[in-house]
Amino acid sequence: MTSRARWAGVLRTPVGAAAAVLLGAVLLLAVLAPLLWGGRADEVDTARILQPASAQHWAGTDNLGRDIFFRVLVATRTSVQLALLATALGVAVGLLLGTAPLLLGPRLGRLVTAAVNIAVAFPGLLLALSFAVIFGAGASGAVPAIGLAIAPGFARLTQTLSATVAGRDFVAAARIAGVGRFRVLLRHVLPNIAEPLLVNATMAAGGSLLAFAGLSFLGLGVQAPGYDWGRLLGEGLNGIYLNPAAALVPGVAVVLAGLAFNLVGEAAAKAVGPRTPTGTVRGDSFEDGPPAPVDRTGQSEAVLVVEDLKVSFGTVTPVRGVGFTLRRGEAVGIVGESGSGKSLTALAVAQLIEQPGRVAARRLDFLGDDLLRTPPRARPRLLGTSLAMVFQDPTTSFNPVQRIGRQLAEVAEQHLGDRRGPALARAVDRLRAVRIPGAARRARQFPHEFSGGMRQRAMIGMGLMGEPKLIIADEPTTALDVTVQRQVLALLAAVRAADDVAMLLISHDIGVVEQVCDRVLVMYAGRIVEDLPAAQLRDGARHPYTRALLGAVPDLATDRDQPLVVIPGRPADPAAPPPGCAFAPRCPLADDHCVRADPALLDDGLGGRVACWHAGELPEPVRAGAAVLSAATEGEGR
Amino acid sequence: MSELAFEDVTVRFGNGRRAMTAVDGVSLTVPSGAVVGLVGESGSGKSTLARAAVGLTPVSGGRILLDGRPLRPRGRRPLQMVFQDPYSSLDPRMTIGSSIAEAIPRGAVPGAAGRRDEVARLLELVDLPADRAGCYPAELSGGQRQRVALARALAGRPDVVIADEITSALDVSIQGTVLNLVRDLHRSLRLSMLFITHDLAVVRYVSDYIAVMYLGRIVEYGPAESVLQDPQHPYTRELLAAARRPGRSAPADLDTAPAQVADAEPADPHHPPSGCRFHPRCPAGPLVHADRAVCRDAAPTGDGRRNRAACHFADRAADRADTPPPGGPPGDPRS
Repeated sequence: MTSRARWAGVLRTPVGAAAAVLLGAVLLLAVLAPLLWGGRADEVDTARILQPASAQHWAGTDNLGRDIFFRVLVATRTSVQLALLATALGVAVGLLLGTAPLLLGPRLGRLVTAAVNIAVAFPGLLLALSFAVIFGAGASGAVPAIGLAIAPGFARLTQTLSATVAGRDFVAAARIAGVGRFRVLLRHVLPNIAEPLLVNATMAAGGSLLAFAGLSFLGLGVQAPGYDWGRLLGEGLNGIYLNPAAALVPGVAVVLAGLAFNLVGEAAAKAVGPRTPTGTVRGDSFEDGPPAPVDRTGQSEAVLVVEDLKVSFGTVTPVRGVGFTLRRGEAVGIVGESGSGKSLTALAVAQLIEQPGRVAARRLDFLGDDLLRTPPRARPRLLGTSLAMVFQDPTTSFNPVQRIGRQLAEVAEQHLGDRRGPALARAVDRLRAVRIPGAARRARQFPHEFSGGMRQRAMIGMGLMGEPKLIIADEPTTALDVTVQRQVLALLAAVRAADDVAMLLISHDIGVVEQVCDRVLVMYAGRIVEDLPAAQLRDGARHPYTRALLGAVPDLATDRDQPLVVIPGRPADPAAPPPGCAFAPRCPLADDHCVRADPALLDDGLGGRVACWHAGELPEPVRAGAAVLSAATEGEGR
Repeated sequence: MSELAFEDVTVRFGNGRRAMTAVDGVSLTVPSGAVVGLVGESGSGKSTLARAAVGLTPVSGGRILLDGRPLRPRGRRPLQMVFQDPYSSLDPRMTIGSSIAEAIPRGAVPGAAGRRDEVARLLELVDLPADRAGCYPAELSGGQRQRVALARALAGRPDVVIADEITSALDVSIQGTVLNLVRDLHRSLRLSMLFITHDLAVVRYVSDYIAVMYLGRIVEYGPAESVLQDPQHPYTRELLAAARRPGRSAPADLDTAPAQVADAEPADPHHPPSGCRFHPRCPAGPLVHADRAVCRDAAPTGDGRRNRAACHFADRAADRADTPPPGGPPGDPRS
């Protein structure tokens, strides 16, 4: 979405529309009121001094008989003008101080940062008051006072935001290209932090309007004969028992104008900030597409049976009818690119899809229990003891402030009803089982004291606290170094062999899956496009996507003189699945039929399933790829 | 095209007890017109070395030479870098055309029209249509962005290009395209390149020479064929064993390390082990062979060893005929 469209969208929300109308009215009044009613506001009428509100004078009159209502309207200009002036000063000083560390280099920059940090520690109003005393009472003193009070907070915000942007690679690239510091600031840093700064400046304007009213009220702001809302409020307050309207009207004006600025800021923040997709689920979204065929082979031993699984977020359905069966001790791998729905499939099986996601399936049986119809209260027990989950990023999957041993023991306490002592003993035992050296000592350590590989082992150990029948590993080795990867894969294989545990391994790396799994499911755009034994992957793959995946990544036997297989185009957009085969736009075999009709995943009679109208055919470009593959096999023999 | 040489380069971060030596006395040469693949795990210092070369990280010791002359400490260097993450390496607020134009040296092409033509030429060089110059990065896929990043690097008329993990953030189906492009560019422009990756299979595909880095030190360096076919350092062998190869292997074969070091943790770069930094994990080291205490006490050098392997027990260069001479790599094997 372009930023213009985003801003237009904000204007259509109730808050955005109200804020815009309110701010427009305030600004319009600031411009027009002195021109229209300037005369009437200054009209002295000694015959009617200090009159209460009446039909003639809506808010009464002051001690010179002037109409307070018109004075409030006319005061809009002074109040808004001074507030904006103070904000502009504050923003300018804040920008200078905030960007100084970037321009001055690390050493001087640190000094500026420290100074700003100290200034931020003082309350803004206190700063404004003391500055107002220093600069003297009057508008010319109050503007720098409030401006300087705004500056530290704004400087800090600028600093934080610009430091984040300055750390990004594109700034590094610009510096390598010889772009100077000042130009980097103007061209790369400021445009990327402008939106949040603008939002903040708008809010600051609302704040400074209030602060100005406060100073004037105290007699430190605008001096007679000038007047602004704060001053009118102060004057009106003297006679509040005689004429409450004289104090209320300027008060309401301050509140409304302040609200106008702050609401605009809020609405703008919503436009700038991250948004969560909203939308309603279409009634038919679960009905479209050909039904996924049922895989009924050997369901007696099945640990997990999935039929026609769909996961949707609003109108987007990233998983569109996935079906497979996992038998005892079997290892099945799911490969696919990012956005193919492989991780969501795993999360859906583990019942970890959060709102607003929706999971639907014709069948989702785990150990014979239908997960979709199990009462939610019984689910954690079933999943907690029989299912182990290993995530990609071991840094985020542990609670950083709890010792590893405790976190493992908690599983046993929660799900198996163990007491504290035995639970901890089991935790140490499980850590030993996943070959963590010095298990008893390491159980007392915190997650940050573990290396990535060790943390991943501990995660597997946590899965082993119960008696898992199924391990779901979602990219378990992607965040790890290659040599550690091998250790973790070997560990998973050992765990599986020891207890005949089934495993569902999700990976983008077809090589990893090929090495560890018995069967491979290839996913593309939310569907399984091929399901085949891992041993047949190299020469039995029949879907063009599977073949291309194998050829696109070099391995140690790839012919260096041949170009790698290229899959043209970009991965399918889960938000807009095409009516036909999702891979057709990138497929060398695609014809009109492929674009129109989505092929079903059909049993190929050779122990696999494939969803392709041209399964097994070889086009020209892929033949070149096949040549690479055959050369590769020769290379291996060398 | 030029030769980039690191001479005993050291990069240290922090000071006092929290100091960390990310790069420890590295000497490495990128011969003119050759691609040198630098492999190593995270924390090995390979990216730091790259950032030091382009001036993003100050060097604490040693020199970086281009054609024998030290690089200027400030300002534009004749080196360009391509970053790992194409989503953060392009300014989202700038069209890709102006991102590329920014990197063209001042005075290299005359006038605005000249710059526009140059941008078009560069885009076509990386197989993108020239009319995409007005696009913003958000409109491009990851692979296309990485190609724009390559075009921007080439815009600086670099003598040497440094590619830091340029394929690891890309989807599998797109990696091939970028690797093909790197190879084509290298062949057509005769670029000197330092190609950094953690993936030996990728490095094998694009490199003429391979350098292996472990905990801030180069542990092996030689012609690609020699390093891959006949690795001398145990760490290189371990990396090779972990790399992708076609076909299946039984689970038991996944981890073939001796039991003493099979579950060893990667060393902490803040507290590197004494002597040979690989010894706590080494299948040929003191944990497996009790008589090899020398690994704990003395840091090995690669001088005089085959592939300059920094291992006390690697083959001596004299044992073989086809050995790179010490101090530098041999000429391009294809010339």
